[in-house]
Amino acid sequence: MRLLALSAVSVALTSAVVGHGFYQKQQFYPTVVYLTKSSPSLAVLYLQAFVCALILGKLIRKIFFGQLRAAETEHLIERLWYAVTETCLAFTVFRDDFSPRFVALFTLLLFLKCFHWLTEDRVDYMERSPVISWLFHIRALTLFILLAAADLGLIVHAYHSVVSRGASVQLVFGFEYAILLTMVLTVVFKYILHSIDLRSTNPWENKAVFMLYTELCTGFIKVILYVAFMAIMIKIHTFPLFAIRPMYLTMRQFKKAATDAIMSRRAIRNMNTLYPDATPEELQSTDNVCIICREEMTTGAKRLPCNHIFHTSCLRSWFQRQQTCPTCRMDILRTQGPAQPRADAARPPAPPAPPPPPQAVAQPAPPQPNLPPGMVPPFPGLFPLWPPWVPQAGPMPIPPAADATNAQVNSFGAPVTGTAPTPQAGTTEAGTAPATRSFSSGFPEFPGFPPHPPPPFLMPGLVPPQMLGLPPMPPPPDDLSGLSEEELREMEGQERRHLQARVECLRNIQTLLDAAVVQMQQYSALVVTLGMPGSSVPQSDTSHPSAASTSAMAQDGTITTSSKPATSLNDDTEGTSEVGAGATSPGAVGEDDPSSEPDTSELRRRRLQRLQNPAIQ
Amino acid sequence: MVLSCFIILLLTLNPPEGIVAGEESSSLFFLHYHGLLVGPEGTCFEGGVFPAVMTFPPDYPLSPPKMRFTCEMFHPNIYPDGRVCISILHAPGDDPMGYESSAERWSPVQSVEKILLSVVSMLAEPNDESGANVDASKMWREDRAQFDKIAHQLVRKSLGL
Repeated sequence: MRLLALSAVSVALTSAVVGHGFYQKQQFYPTVVYLTKSSPSLAVLYLQAFVCALILGKLIRKIFFGQLRAAETEHLIERLWYAVTETCLAFTVFRDDFSPRFVALFTLLLFLKCFHWLTEDRVDYMERSPVISWLFHIRALTLFILLAAADLGLIVHAYHSVVSRGASVQLVFGFEYAILLTMVLTVVFKYILHSIDLRSTNPWENKAVFMLYTELCTGFIKVILYVAFMAIMIKIHTFPLFAIRPMYLTMRQFKKAATDAIMSRRAIRNMNTLYPDATPEELQSTDNVCIICREEMTTGAKRLPCNHIFHTSCLRSWFQRQQTCPTCRMDILRTQGPAQPRADAARPPAPPAPPPPPQAVAQPAPPQPNLPPGMVPPFPGLFPLWPPWVPQAGPMPIPPAADATNAQVNSFGAPVTGTAPTPQAGTTEAGTAPATRSFSSGFPEFPGFPPHPPPPFLMPGLVPPQMLGLPPMPPPPDDLSGLSEEELREMEGQERRHLQARVECLRNIQTLLDAAVVQMQQYSALVVTLGMPGSSVPQSDTSHPSAASTSAMAQDGTITTSSKPATSLNDDTEGTSEVGAGATSPGAVGEDDPSSEPDTSELRRRRLQRLQNPAIQ
Repeated sequence: MVLSCFIILLLTLNPPEGIVAGEESSSLFFLHYHGLLVGPEGTCFEGGVFPAVMTFPPDYPLSPPKMRFTCEMFHPNIYPDGRVCISILHAPGDDPMGYESSAERWSPVQSVEKILLSVVSMLAEPNDESGANVDASKMWREDRAQFDKIAHQLVRKSLGL
């Protein structure tokens, strides 16, 4: 409506001015001279030309675009303001060759730019309009051809004029049209991509990738053009102030496209390789609506390391913008490390895990996928609690105290082991653990026998806790039929290791028990000998050295025959223990003891006799 | 398309408090969506009914929508032309004010209700750190009485009084 008023006014003014001139001069040629000489009539004529251009623009728009959408108009006006400002800046740079022709050329440039922008918007609109008519395709194709032809023609014209008449304002036009030509190229590529997408019935997943690369390529060309233009302009003319803004924008866009391409490539590769597909159970356990498109997920969903599930296609388009989880904003690229073990954890625990300290193994349940990283995978079929001194007994790794307490907590917390024996074992171990620890620190080389045997009076205090610490019967392992072949094989390997450790422990127990028997015999023998001093001191004084001397004498004969378990004992131990061991049967000692006590002389005689007997044998 | 219908349905069936869901849009695919926001109680905008238009980009859940008040507004976080400047409507990457952390930016999880609630709470508690309207920010900080007076005038104007 405003345009109509404007054109009416301009036409009225023009006709008035022309009529007035013709009325005054009466002839054609003087009238033209008069009109071009008087400024007001020239202004009116310029206005008329502008209005004509506007009407022509409207006409072309009507032919090629039909009705403009609101967004398109808004976009056009916004861009037009910047373009007009830049054109004015360009006028200041080229004020020397300012002429009507120059203004006309800039107007033409603006005019063409407007149509380029409109074409770009239109092609972008293709993506989201459901029905694309044949008219649209015909219009778009003719537009492409016309715009490209105009750009090419004007570039050639600018090139020839620069070559023939030297650098002038035509250089600027040449570059501007070159930029516009790349724009047409981008738009054509996009149009082709959109057309392919429209043809196929299901959405084309790789379209966005191609779009990104198209933008990357044309962005690169534009950046090169702008840099070259900048360099040439600075060299032959002045600093092209008007080109700063578009150049900066182009560079920023290119940089963004480049980083987007790299980052999204990385994120999408991660998504395809690292992140597991969401299983139907996972989908059912959560609200199975993809938060991006708000449609239900049935297939083609991926689980991110943060356990959020989305459609693969939705994730792909989101990763092209940002590489974070849409829900929790976890940076996908930065958390590559944690993502890996988590993917592993979904599978059964890996075999190279070190043989777990038996105390930590308190859960006869199948391996659970989500273990905290520090925890040893629990394993079925093991004793819930191992005797506390075992870890120190062999080549088994000594678990830190925290681990042991952890295992305690675990065994109480686990529903399967919360049966009668376990708490009992837990309490006994809790009670004995400090004692055994101090014990082990006193004698670091437990495996064989301590080089210096504990003094006999220590033994009675130590043995009972060890007996108490014996493990209760383990609860039977859970059903093994649910395990997979791989898990079973792995379990077999671990079981064997555990079995070896257990057999080793049992052997140690045997050695210990044998040693204990020996020590008990020695102890009782000592009680027999030392029990005397309570009644008569001087006689015991004489008997003790004699026993020692006789034992030394008997050593050669007895050591091979009677002390099988004590092969690793050192001489001191043997010296004392043989006193008892020399008495071939403990029963004989027990039988003799009560009778020998009353009469010391009788006892001494008997002992001498007994000591002599093995030597005779 | 499905999405926009969903949002419209959701808003008309179950509008959050203080928001009057508006009618359809002028354009074909509900890309422009008109609505009325009610000024929150206990603030200087109490009682006002402010028309606004929300514009959805073609790649909507991936890019944030834009919101613009179509009436005259005087608020530190609303540009003089009515555009709303809150962090939830900014895509990470472009930061017009240079202070927002990416945690409070747009993500597809944000829904239309969340945006509207954010805008309502923005009306109640302006953030004068990021002055979209510098005059309003300055007045909010230094001359609250005058700000309230202008806000009341706007409320009256919005009600047609």
